[in-house]
Amino acid sequence: MKDLLLNLHEQVVLHSLRYAVIQGDQRVTYRELWHQIEAIAERLRNGGLKPNDGVALLMENSAQYIAAYFAVWHIGGYVVALNTSLKVRELANLISHCEAKLVLHDVRAKELSSLSELIGDSSQLQALQVEFKEGAAEDSKNYVAPDKPDMHALASVIYTSGTTGHPKGVMLSRKNLQSNTNSIIKYLSLTSGDKVMCVLPFFYSYGNSVMHTHLAVGATLVLENSFLYPNKVLQVMEQEEVTGFSGVPTTYSLLLARTKLQNYKLPKLRYVTQAGGAMAPKAIEQIQVFWQQTRFFVMYGQTEASARLTYLKPERLKEKLGSAGCAIPDVELKIVDEQGCDVAIGTQGEVCARGDNVMLGYLHDPEETAKTVVGGWLKTGDVGYLDSEGYLFLVGRNKEMIKSGAHRIAPVEIEEIIREHDKVAEVAIVGVADELLGQVIKAFVVLKENKGIEKRDLMRFFKERLPQYKIPKSIEFINDLPKTASGKVKKHQLVN
Amino acid sequence: MSTEVKLRSYILESYLFSDDQSLLDNADSFMEKGILDSTGIMEVIFYLEDEFGIQVEDEEMVPENLDSINNILAFLDSKK
Repeated sequence: MKDLLLNLHEQVVLHSLRYAVIQGDQRVTYRELWHQIEAIAERLRNGGLKPNDGVALLMENSAQYIAAYFAVWHIGGYVVALNTSLKVRELANLISHCEAKLVLHDVRAKELSSLSELIGDSSQLQALQVEFKEGAAEDSKNYVAPDKPDMHALASVIYTSGTTGHPKGVMLSRKNLQSNTNSIIKYLSLTSGDKVMCVLPFFYSYGNSVMHTHLAVGATLVLENSFLYPNKVLQVMEQEEVTGFSGVPTTYSLLLARTKLQNYKLPKLRYVTQAGGAMAPKAIEQIQVFWQQTRFFVMYGQTEASARLTYLKPERLKEKLGSAGCAIPDVELKIVDEQGCDVAIGTQGEVCARGDNVMLGYLHDPEETAKTVVGGWLKTGDVGYLDSEGYLFLVGRNKEMIKSGAHRIAPVEIEEIIREHDKVAEVAIVGVADELLGQVIKAFVVLKENKGIEKRDLMRFFKERLPQYKIPKSIEFINDLPKTASGKVKKHQLVN
Repeated sequence: MSTEVKLRSYILESYLFSDDQSLLDNADSFMEKGILDSTGIMEVIFYLEDEFGIQVEDEEMVPENLDSINNILAFLDSKK
């Protein structure tokens, strides 16, 4: 397959009147999408943007997000898609870190004015609002192909939570994304006839891969930006007769807990995919009771691998339930011990992967890059083993991360914020098991002497400084944190 | 205390951690304003069931019924 932008251009020529995006009442054809890409690219060029410049996107999933994303590629720049739920301070840190020259945003202008204040006058940063102009496309067969890109240049930065509390900017090239997209298309057998319901944000790698894979084959993306009301999503899936659906374990828990799946007729639903953490085998079986004709793909990967590393063939699902599957096309897997030596089949160790999908590195962090990509192998930080047929079984992560819904959260990020409160002496953040979200955040707080504070005051403090998904669900005031002799907090003791 | 006052106090207290009435308009979408997340909406449903003695069916868990103070008030009215 060609580069993803060149390939998108090819889809425009082949299927100009097919819908690329459906969202509410808006229906956008491939032709309209391409005209928008060209129009935004023109504005970027006129604004002085040059190849290799960074452009941040602060937008919800939409046709204009996609147009902005590919417009940045059209001028040879790199995209930094930012989590739209972040507060201004975090956004400002990320924008400074990635050296974006411009922020393309949707209507959320309020955040933007605070953002420019925070970044200050010294920055060259500009902001530009992107709106989708409907009906702007002229019927023309002369869709001009974009220039051939440098496939190994930086094309996308996706921030992930780091264990140190500072988000890491995963640098991906067009080659990385093209390779992974191609592998996923193969095993999902995607075609231009597919129509996927996408509820995952494009700013995370899972959503990003759903976007790339479906546009690359000329399929249709049906977008719903909230899963707060799963019945509404199912109604749209039924109306649009979708063929595919992607979710994290929480997505499926919500479907099982809050909807009557049997009431929705989805005869064309051909495949569903699940990634973003282990899903209970029982929940997979329950979903299959309702969607018997649908192929259920369990998948595993990480942002550093563009998205995907393994998938479990639906026909082996029953037999290998609990496995993350085997390596996807064009990816190799191995398990190593603490010395970095290969281990025998069935022996636990760190999961490593190699392929064209492995990132260029972490932005401005050569040290962390050197620790993570060793001799071309990506050290995932996950612990697992391979069986005799090459199926991967994950047994745990060796990094301290909380997985809540679709989010990975580093406890230290929240601890740093809470420590800023003048009445807090010490804090420990842990993830506690939750039926719906996998894990939820709990804060154990030690207050300074004689400084009484209500839980409510602390929650308001969080609300002002943290996005919703990072706000602890519960707070417990304690007198002392349990610690080891060396002073490290015994978090496992708090969890139990 | 009227239903509206009760409901507003509950949302303000539980999700905005404040009694400042200006923080919440009756037309504000909980979804768009980021006031509630997935677990929050379930808590609201339990609250409505306990406080107002209604039963919220799975198919009634849609934004038209639950996504703002106004929507909830109309929904409660329809359940009378």
